[in-house]
Amino acid sequence: MKTLRRNMLAIPIIVWIGLLVGTPLIFVFVLSFLSRDNLGNIVVAFTLDNYKRIFDPIYIRVFFNSFLLATLTGLVTLLIGYPVAYITSGLNPKRRAVSIALIMLPFWLSSLLRTYGWIILLGNTGIINNILVGLNIIEKPLNMMYKFGTTLVGTAYMLIPFMIIAIFNSVDKLDRSYLEASYDLGAGRLKTFFNITIPLTLPGIFGGFTLVFIPALGLFFISDLLGGGKTIFLGNLINTQVTKGRNRPLGAAFSILMIVLVLVVLFIYSRAAKREEGGLFQ
Amino acid sequence: MRSRTKGFGTFYLSLFFVVLYFPVLSVILYSFNSSPSTAKWAGFTLDWYRELFSDGVIGQSFKTSIQVALLTSVLSAVLGTAAAIISLSVSKRVEKTIQGVMILPLLVPEVALGISLLIFFTALGLPFGHLTLVLSHSLFCVPYIYIMVQLRLKEIDKSVIEAARDLGATRGQTIRTIIIPLVMPSIITASLLALAMSLDDVVISSYMSGPRSTTLPVHIFSMMRVGVTPKINALCTLILVGTFFIVGLGQLAGKKNRIKEEF
Repeated sequence: MKTLRRNMLAIPIIVWIGLLVGTPLIFVFVLSFLSRDNLGNIVVAFTLDNYKRIFDPIYIRVFFNSFLLATLTGLVTLLIGYPVAYITSGLNPKRRAVSIALIMLPFWLSSLLRTYGWIILLGNTGIINNILVGLNIIEKPLNMMYKFGTTLVGTAYMLIPFMIIAIFNSVDKLDRSYLEASYDLGAGRLKTFFNITIPLTLPGIFGGFTLVFIPALGLFFISDLLGGGKTIFLGNLINTQVTKGRNRPLGAAFSILMIVLVLVVLFIYSRAAKREEGGLFQ
Repeated sequence: MRSRTKGFGTFYLSLFFVVLYFPVLSVILYSFNSSPSTAKWAGFTLDWYRELFSDGVIGQSFKTSIQVALLTSVLSAVLGTAAAIISLSVSKRVEKTIQGVMILPLLVPEVALGISLLIFFTALGLPFGHLTLVLSHSLFCVPYIYIMVQLRLKEIDKSVIEAARDLGATRGQTIRTIIIPLVMPSIITASLLALAMSLDDVVISSYMSGPRSTTLPVHIFSMMRVGVTPKINALCTLILVGTFFIVGLGQLAGKKNRIKEEF
């Protein structure tokens, strides 16, 4: 009886978040099966058209772009971030604290500021072009803005701290005596790294990949600012359909698709994490 | 051999940090450039900052952002802390439910969360503005506060709480006089994090802003889409200074509490 009364205390919190997240999601789900008239008004008539349109080649392309961007962001941040995490965990306590602080600090900086920094650097009259032209390395400014690669750079830059922290937590728990054992048994540094270190830090790699992949699907402002809207991603599409295209049901269907994609990634992650024992949400 | 790899490690790490901070430093540097273009450095000026302060729209959106962020962090601190403390005494199953519900807003991609809230609030007929901004921001702030306070709660020596109960303190008294003061540093740090997250949010705010209440990031975003101007650099630099102020405050609060604990 007493625990029952205490459990009741949790109701307001669960209702608060559940109501603000759950109900809107149900709304979106319902909306994704409705149609709209020519003025963009929503018509209550059940249809599967919104989902059928997903298989339109144009939209398949958008879907593919987003998937590619998120996957490449995961790979790039992994390749650059792994050594950072590994080196940091081997530093002496003082330097280690400084390194971790420098990795975490960007979290506190405005994401718009960090994206804008790349516009200043990569633009036709940007800083990198000025330096290269000034040093006579190139004659004409390089065209680096508004490409798929520009969006990739911006997205990877934004999300790399997540990857590093996830890997760091894993690398830091690594029992270094395994490495010593491997060396003693005659394995070289490379062999030890690929046969011992990488497998033992897989939970961190999976965790980091998940933490980077999910937001990479939806950060539409980066592709808007750095990609110039040339390559269309899922996030941009949803945003345009809802705010400008006046086709909210279609935007809703794509949102549901995006959520499903995230759930699939999380499912794969939780399976992998279970096998590796341990993970982000133990 | 060992010192060579160590040297390489230091080099790689330094290079990484240079790349990590170069874009940010460039923005700051060029906010003082008297030429409106990044093409050349034409000398030091504070003109862009002067222009900022005479821009009424920026002032208005700044005010909105601050109001929303303060309300959000207070609301989220109360809800997040309450959820964490309640989690202590509920059954395992309910605790799992709370955790599941808490993680939900973090799992849904921001765009999807933003448009679902837009559709929901439109259906409810809520006026878009401060109210919708605070409600939506609290969604992604409460979970962080909950997680941070809960981590701290786990560190607390259970015998302290038991001692208070044995000495006749009621549950309410124990929470007020023992638990809350012990987790206070975490609550403060988490609230400051919430403040920073609310001040920084672009995606969800872009759907939640009303006709007369645009937040600063949403306004900056629309400025950036139009083109590069040192005015944006100046604005970003000021926000950076503000952020450091908040972070510094958080560090100070944490340190003060740690010193207190030692005695």
